[in-house]
Amino acid sequence: MTLQVERLDEVVTALRTVLADDQILTSRADRLNRARVPAPFPVHRWTERLPDLAVLPTSTEQVAGVVRIANDLRVPVVPRDGGTGLTDGAVPLRGGIVVDVKRMNDVREIDLENRTVRVGTGINMLKLNEQLARHGLFYPDDPASYPCSLVGGRIGTSGWSLIGARYGHTRDLVLSFDHVLPTGEVMHVGDGIGHQISKSSSGYQLKHLFMGHQGTLGIATEATLKLYPKPEAELSPFWAFDNYDDAYRCVGALARAGVATFAGAVLFDEWKVAYLRRDDEAYIPQPGDVRALVCAVMYGYEDEVRPAGRRLFRIAKEHGARYLGDEISEGDWAARHDRYATPLHGRTKDGQVVPMSWHCEDAAVNYTRLPAVSKVWHEIVADLRRKTDVFDDWGMFAYTSADTGVDYLTEIDVGIWEQQLDDRAWELWVRAKRDIAAVALANNASISACHGSCREGEVDLVPQELGRGYDVMLDLKRTLDPNNIMNPGKYHLDRAYRAGGR
Amino acid sequence: MTQTDKERGGADALATPFTPGMRDNPAELADFTDGIVGRPLPIADAGGPSPEQEFAAEWNNAAYNCFSSGHKFCREVCPVMQVTRNESWTPTAFHANVVAMGQGELSVEDVAADYVNCTQCGACELRCPNTLFTGDFYRFRTRTVDVVKAVRALAVDQGVHQEGWRTWNARTDELTHEPVLGETPVNQDHVRDWSAGLDLPIGGETVLFVDCEAAFYRTSVPRAVAQVLQLAGYEFGLMGEQWCCGGPAAEMGYVDQAQRFARHNLDNWRSTGTRRVLVLDPHDYISFTEDYPKYFGAEYDIEVVLVVELFAQLIREGRLNPSVPVERTITYHDPCRLNKRKGIWQEPREILRAIPGLTFNDVDRVTQWSYCSGGGGGLPIEKPELTERISASRLEKAAALEVDTLVSACPWSERPLTAAGESHDIDVVDIHELLAASLGIEVGGTTDGGAS
Repeated sequence: MTLQVERLDEVVTALRTVLADDQILTSRADRLNRARVPAPFPVHRWTERLPDLAVLPTSTEQVAGVVRIANDLRVPVVPRDGGTGLTDGAVPLRGGIVVDVKRMNDVREIDLENRTVRVGTGINMLKLNEQLARHGLFYPDDPASYPCSLVGGRIGTSGWSLIGARYGHTRDLVLSFDHVLPTGEVMHVGDGIGHQISKSSSGYQLKHLFMGHQGTLGIATEATLKLYPKPEAELSPFWAFDNYDDAYRCVGALARAGVATFAGAVLFDEWKVAYLRRDDEAYIPQPGDVRALVCAVMYGYEDEVRPAGRRLFRIAKEHGARYLGDEISEGDWAARHDRYATPLHGRTKDGQVVPMSWHCEDAAVNYTRLPAVSKVWHEIVADLRRKTDVFDDWGMFAYTSADTGVDYLTEIDVGIWEQQLDDRAWELWVRAKRDIAAVALANNASISACHGSCREGEVDLVPQELGRGYDVMLDLKRTLDPNNIMNPGKYHLDRAYRAGGR
Repeated sequence: MTQTDKERGGADALATPFTPGMRDNPAELADFTDGIVGRPLPIADAGGPSPEQEFAAEWNNAAYNCFSSGHKFCREVCPVMQVTRNESWTPTAFHANVVAMGQGELSVEDVAADYVNCTQCGACELRCPNTLFTGDFYRFRTRTVDVVKAVRALAVDQGVHQEGWRTWNARTDELTHEPVLGETPVNQDHVRDWSAGLDLPIGGETVLFVDCEAAFYRTSVPRAVAQVLQLAGYEFGLMGEQWCCGGPAAEMGYVDQAQRFARHNLDNWRSTGTRRVLVLDPHDYISFTEDYPKYFGAEYDIEVVLVVELFAQLIREGRLNPSVPVERTITYHDPCRLNKRKGIWQEPREILRAIPGLTFNDVDRVTQWSYCSGGGGGLPIEKPELTERISASRLEKAAALEVDTLVSACPWSERPLTAAGESHDIDVVDIHELLAASLGIEVGGTTDGGAS
């Protein structure tokens, strides 16, 4: 919280010119509940991140009005959509106004001929798909947070989709959107002028710039999305291996096969299988010689998926895979994809079961670098565990990002005993995150494929990752947000406003 | 090669995956000293713990299970959230507030009014990624309904009242029944009026318990139930002196009152030699199978039978044979307390499929996790406008199926759903009434408290 009481009154009075009273929330509980995201943070420092107030606009005009007022009064604005991100994009670092877009969740137009839908950005993908199902269509943006994240947050973070190898990721699926700039001006962002254009070569390609900025360049309010036929068939085989190397070779071969219905593959490493075996009640027990797993998923018409499946089964067999059977494959895919069942506990080194929650650090890593990155990341977490039982190694997943198998969303899952997360543990965690990011960069990887890189720790390395590109970020930030009101404090963008520029 | 090969010199036990706590683990695991775990965390307070902090200590694990994972899968299935889109009124907020109380950041006064915004339907618990039912042995269920009830009780305990609830419970206390007819009096003298002409005995081994809404407002439901039971030759009586089950008071935080009412009912069952209670209302079913056992422990040895389950069984056994065609196009509304709280969804469908003439456009039970009438948890008393919007949203879904009738199995849902059905020209009918019609029974009674 940053505003003095008199200042707060001034802001609220101004906001009442564009919003109704019930759209302006100032109570302590309203603010506490808009200072949180799933990423871990020491609970005793919760109030450091309180906004001064939150607003619930219902239209682009209202969002623009709020941002204009904030810009005039030099008050920070933090866009909040689902608030499900892992990099604190929606967390206020300097107080100010949280613009919570959840009330802009209507479906405005379904264009069956051009296969698009126009929605308010406060809509959730699962809810959208319930409506699209009536037309035999679906919107295939499919993150782990599919039941709760919102289209606007997917734009602001440039989300990654589990089935992106088949359908593309958020940046491919969002054709265009209305966007409120940090000055309160409204702009339409798409390819060229179009609302429904998938490829234009007219002008600069601004769409990517206004996706994935973590709310530092404005707020998307209405989006036009690409639609696909709802797939008739899903095939999600799980294969077992007695060692990591065979599983690694197999997942590479599956991804490189170029099967058109291939939507993604996942590699479970030996730490992951060991963890699931010891602590995940949703895991269907396998014999002890099962040490690594690979699953692949295909979507499409039945007469496409069947032969594609035969091809992938043949490849898996050539790599020493043992098929786990239909029941386990379907059940495990349902548990991990449809439900995302998460265990609530890990263990101390001596075996005491303690309440822990699941957190993960990710990177975008090339196939050939996966084993090297995995090895060092586990060492980093082992080092945390040498110091304290607040942390537990829950293993790694590597997910294909693209249809050719070039790179993988690689994540290490770390159980954190949050009730014990004090300042020293937090310091250890931040340092570990920085180390994890450094390993990614040392392997020519990107710090994040999916979660973003603006949290304490890894954010320090973003200038190193982007090089001259980071300076362009600073230039753009200063130009578009002259008063640094839009989600200030993220990505070290304050540097754009220091004397002498960057 | 495996990742577990110890090829590096000097690698310790933590360099490979292992299962902590196993007998043959390396002894060196005990040698690491922990610099953090076990030390007290900083807590911002002066003096002793506040009532909120004592409360938070009791609910710490339940609240932290949600707070520290924070996935919010619950949000879009929450009926209140769907119509308000206000994150302060979501299951995750209800847990997070408890953690904040523990930190001394919130008082119960700050948040008591927020906790009104819950119908206690249980959808959030089912959608929670932490909830897991594996096989028939592992059952972990996130406890959001319990947390909401407990915070409401804490508020009452601390003298923080919601005016509507205070009045409602005070009148219930006075009348021994909920004031479901507004100013029209409800009381002991009228609690059996619904059964006029049915010639039902009092007491006995099995009694039929009729909730306040059904006993006074929608009397067609208990009349249907009683007559179907008579037709099947199933012996039962009515309670000697029936009071409200106490569940609504418990839901709104008036715990002492709830327990007094429960005590009365249990004593009354004892006085008439009753061993078995038939329940037609899902809310009562929750009270009798969850609250009463908590209040009375081993002393509570009453068998509780849900009428919908009993009817399905009687149909299966051939003791009920619905044969009169009911020419309606219907869909079924899964009552939250049956489907989401108790996992009962098969039997109502069995009954509906046994009724000739029906065209049944069913919606599966999982999709219905996000459906609700808005009639539960005291919401309609404090925020009738939210109940109305939740019911309207439920009826829109029914209307999209092009049905003329929405069948429910919960009297408390039927009043708001009926009101919402008017603009769609959709009738709301109780499943017991529908079965009775197919058995050729003229039910009688009223569906609107006798207003028409």
